[in-house]
Amino acid sequence: MDMSSHPLLSALDEPAPFPSQYPQLRRLDRSMVCQICKEPFTGPVTISCGHSFCSACIRSSLEVMKKCPSCNETVTEGSIRRNRALEEMVDAWEESRPTLIDLAQPPRKRPAPPETSHSKASLSSGVKRARLSPTGSANASGSASGSRSGSPTKSRRANDVVVEEIDENEDDVLELTENDEAPCPLCQATMPISSIPLHIEKGCPPPKAKPKSNGVLGKGNQKADWKKVFSGQGLGGKTKEVEMKRITKPNYALSSPADLRAILSEYSLPTTGDKPTLQSRLQEWIILFNSNLDTSHPSSLSALRAKLAESESSKRRDKEKGKDEVVNQLASKDGLAKYASVKKSEFERLRREIIERDKRRKDAEEGKGDGKENAIEVE
Amino acid sequence: MSALPKRILKETERLMADSPPGISAAPKDDNLRHFDVTVAGPESSPYEGGVFKLELFLPEEYPMNPPKVRFLTKIYHPNIDKLGRICLDILKDKWSPALQIRTVLLSIQALLGAPNPDDPLANDVAQNWKENQSAAIAQAREWTRQYAQ
Repeated sequence: MDMSSHPLLSALDEPAPFPSQYPQLRRLDRSMVCQICKEPFTGPVTISCGHSFCSACIRSSLEVMKKCPSCNETVTEGSIRRNRALEEMVDAWEESRPTLIDLAQPPRKRPAPPETSHSKASLSSGVKRARLSPTGSANASGSASGSRSGSPTKSRRANDVVVEEIDENEDDVLELTENDEAPCPLCQATMPISSIPLHIEKGCPPPKAKPKSNGVLGKGNQKADWKKVFSGQGLGGKTKEVEMKRITKPNYALSSPADLRAILSEYSLPTTGDKPTLQSRLQEWIILFNSNLDTSHPSSLSALRAKLAESESSKRRDKEKGKDEVVNQLASKDGLAKYASVKKSEFERLRREIIERDKRRKDAEEGKGDGKENAIEVE
Repeated sequence: MSALPKRILKETERLMADSPPGISAAPKDDNLRHFDVTVAGPESSPYEGGVFKLELFLPEEYPMNPPKVRFLTKIYHPNIDKLGRICLDILKDKWSPALQIRTVLLSIQALLGAPNPDDPLANDVAQNWKENQSAAIAQAREWTRQYAQ
């Protein structure tokens, strides 16, 4: 749709949704999302009614009204409890999501096995060998191949060749384990036995890594992974001077600007501005700081400070710009008429769209009951 | 342009790619918080066949505070006044940050299908609606034909 190329929307980087033939995965995906920010939970907490939100989201919401956003039940900030199980679930889900998306894609076309591999019948390992034999001689080796039910014996070039595996030395074969290496019966590439069926299924792609270095590589990755885990955990190390304890909200009505400044300076925050400015700065800081204590991946205090500064300057810009100007203009009859005439073409376009879409939908519905998905989406 | 919360970007994208039946909404080029909206009158209501223009504004505090919505098209409805202001609980005290633009617009469309003269905003319309419902509905139909088509 041409509208999705809106210049201001280009910043959005959405992860791909699950294909529609997997409604259960879509549901699972949706269940990991906070109903306030519509993003996967960050530092999830549960309130007294049992609903869960991001810590920062519900704390901001409770500043405005003391009700659960989902069920309207009265709740207080005191009932907020960290939900570690949910956090673990969201983390695990986020980690496995790309893999699942990948698996949910329709299978790609398999490339044909390389032609040349059939003519090369050289054998490298004496333990196990593959031989290409004319179809006519298949019976001769039938008993040998029949004894190994798991071996791939299906023909990929059905016209004249059949792949047979012949065990030259039965005793040796019995000692083989899944981790031992053997040549692929089709292309002779060496790889662990356990991966041969999959390799053939894929149409004999060239192996990615040298099989011999596989073990070494695996160990190296493991080491690197652990390093990542430890360095990730060490993020909070710099913040010794500030006590990482939940901040108790001051009584703003009774606090003097000096009181607020004292708390702000305790957390090395700017102390400029009048009382309302100080208050909103402190309120936002308390939300950021307290919710940061509800997650296993806390941000550093300097990152929190940067976040606070950014939202404050963004708010200021909005105010200076006088955003509500248009809204105020619409309150008067002249302004409304003017606005309507200026935006006429835009509305005309939306109008046409609506009519066309309805028509299309109706046509589709006549074909089959299509309206069901929408009914669910409405919530 | 101030930094827009990701939620607004997300909602906008979904709204434009897949808007509910009979509803379309698009943000203004220079302000993603300000939307032009059209809502088709629901079937078997006096507003059927009409397409109503609205404007929707997301305040700085959104989603903690509700969006501001008003009709730009003249409409004869007990819960919508001369200036297009709408009497709808979720736009006022029943707002919840779990709601979104989509649900608000669907609620407005539902309000067109189910006028509530007991909770009026336009008193004269509401009174007419209660005293002489068929005349009021005829009037609403007439206004729809006159202004919304």
